Amino acid sequence: MNEFAFYVAAAIAVLSTALVITRRNAVQALLYLALSLIAVAVVFYGYGAPFIAALEVIVYAGSIVVLFIFVVMMLNLGRRAAQAEARLLPPRIWIGPAVLAAVLLFEIVYLLARGPRLPVAAAAIPPRAVALALYGPYLLGVELASLLLLSALIGAYHLGWRRQPFPEVRDAPPESPAGLDSGRDSVRAGSRRSAGAA
Amino acid sequence: MNRAGFLALLPLIVLAATIVVVMLSIAWRRRHGLTLALTLAGLALGFASLWIAAPLAPCQVTPLLVLDRYSLFFFGLFFTSEFAIALLAYDYLRRHEVPREEFYLLSLLATLGAAVLAASSHFASFFLGLETMSISLYALIAYLRPRPRPLEAGVKYLVLAAASAAFLLFGIALIYAALGTLDFRRIAPALAAPSVPPAYLAAGFVLLLAGIGFKLALVPFHLWTPDVYEGAPAPVAAWIATLSKGSIFALLLRFLYSSRLLAGPAAHRLLLVLSLIAFLSMILGNLLALLQSNVKRILAYSSIAHMGYLLVPVLAGLRPAHRSLAVEAVAFYLVAYFLTTLGAFGVIGVLSTAQSDAGRIEDFQGLFWRRPLLAGIFAVMLFSLAGIPATAGFMGKYYLVAAGASAAAWALIVVLVVTSVIGLFYYLRIVAALFAPLAPAPSPRLSPASGLVLGALLVGLIWLGVFPEPMIRLIHALAIR
Repeated sequence: MNEFAFYVAAAIAVLSTALVITRRNAVQALLYLALSLIAVAVVFYGYGAPFIAALEVIVYAGSIVVLFIFVVMMLNLGRRAAQAEARLLPPRIWIGPAVLAAVLLFEIVYLLARGPRLPVAAAAIPPRAVALALYGPYLLGVELASLLLLSALIGAYHLGWRRQPFPEVRDAPPESPAGLDSGRDSVRAGSRRSAGAA
Repeated sequence: MNRAGFLALLPLIVLAATIVVVMLSIAWRRRHGLTLALTLAGLALGFASLWIAAPLAPCQVTPLLVLDRYSLFFFGLFFTSEFAIALLAYDYLRRHEVPREEFYLLSLLATLGAAVLAASSHFASFFLGLETMSISLYALIAYLRPRPRPLEAGVKYLVLAAASAAFLLFGIALIYAALGTLDFRRIAPALAAPSVPPAYLAAGFVLLLAGIGFKLALVPFHLWTPDVYEGAPAPVAAWIATLSKGSIFALLLRFLYSSRLLAGPAAHRLLLVLSLIAFLSMILGNLLALLQSNVKRILAYSSIAHMGYLLVPVLAGLRPAHRSLAVEAVAFYLVAYFLTTLGAFGVIGVLSTAQSDAGRIEDFQGLFWRRPLLAGIFAVMLFSLAGIPATAGFMGKYYLVAAGASAAAWALIVVLVVTSVIGLFYYLRIVAALFAPLAPAPSPRLSPASGLVLGALLVGLIWLGVFPEPMIRLIHALAIR
């Protein structure tokens, strides 16, 4: 990876991360978050770790962030979903991330066209090496990570608990004059839990 | 990993299996008592398996974990503390209208994270253990969700802990960039290489220290402590004060002593940073505690000071000749501190009501005339925190001073002694409130479970203060490889 390509990708990563923090609009911030992760993946690719780059895109940008965006958007379920989507994604929200993503696209095309030329200090790390490390010396690390995720899952499940069970699906509630009332028709996790055995 | 490795890991495996069993039992049937019983049985089994693992120690299981007597000792301490906290939490949670069973699940997961920390010999297991603990704690702090205070404390802890984890990771990355290894014991040989960039190393260590300092609530990183202690439910506050800090301290000691990072190129300035943190923690922790009127906040500030005290033997032990005494001093002090803090928060938990946790000094006003036993236990706990003779706290302080004196760290010892005297004042202020002649409100009865735990803690505390030899013999065999 030549210096220029690295600095472009790194600059995009830093810039988009800063924008994640400063944007007030959740959807826009999440788009920048996805972009930041993709920029890091480009850096990984340039440094001879295509497998980690692919994982970065699949796991972070691919599933986690897309899940975030879906959750944010799906909180506006119901009859007004289309309206909500249009409201959430006007051009001024996605134009910034799109431009930066285009820059990254040009860069990755350039890197691909130039062929695999590694920097002196780096060696290519194939998936086989990653797998051998994960199921060799780092086996316990993999197991610990699974318990870490379990604790996150249980914590989220508990914090999503509500005292009153959420009312069953009702007929369309009267339109509120103040636009979308997303709190009324959202799906809430863990809403049918009893308060434990007394 | 071979058969010996499996057997050495048995305490952790039993704990992990307990977590799965408890989770499945909750999924099958929600019974508070059943969940508690399974939790306690699992912890007791884990404790018993220490005797299976002990003959195999020291045993390196993959590069990540080392099971030596040092880690097994802390496993035992953590399992016992979690046992006590689970019993105390049982009574506490019964007064609250929330699902109660997940508390045990989350605190077991956090205990597993703490145990992994005590056994880590690698940055990867260090970080995974730390995060397992932190993520469980986010949910535990905000456990009583219908109340605003725990939720606020949980969010505060979440934001700050996430930021400190970022510092920590960046520090680890810099150290890796400088030395090319994540294994604690490979750091010392790597330091000898001529091409080590000292700037990376120093920056990496300072960032690492910021991350660890946050968890230990050492002074420049202590701002979250009083709010979280005050907001968190009493058993969770006890968890944070004991296991969370004890495990990080066990890790810090192992990291410093087995990596010999402070013998490396940038050692001098790093040593200065660490000493400064110790001074500031002792002084500010005690001075700020003087200004508080909430008992939970007083305990928070006093925990900052206690972590500062604990840095004295750590600094003294940086020279290899004083190392074994330093490890002993830290282990003994942590045992004493665990007993005392569990007892103090246990009493607060017993006095808490469904509406709010006991905390204001008025809640303790004249407690002696209503509940003499409870007030007596609380007073002894506070005496031990202050380091009054015939309690474990006194023996612990004695050990700290001995370890400091062996390395001639006089400035640290003077500050330790002077600030301990200042500390006496705010502990005695609470004790005075206990014996004040006012009795405005009836207070909850001491249930059998809580009574048993508090009684056992009291006996342990006085036993360690009067007859510490068995414990000293036990920790004498601890050594960090």
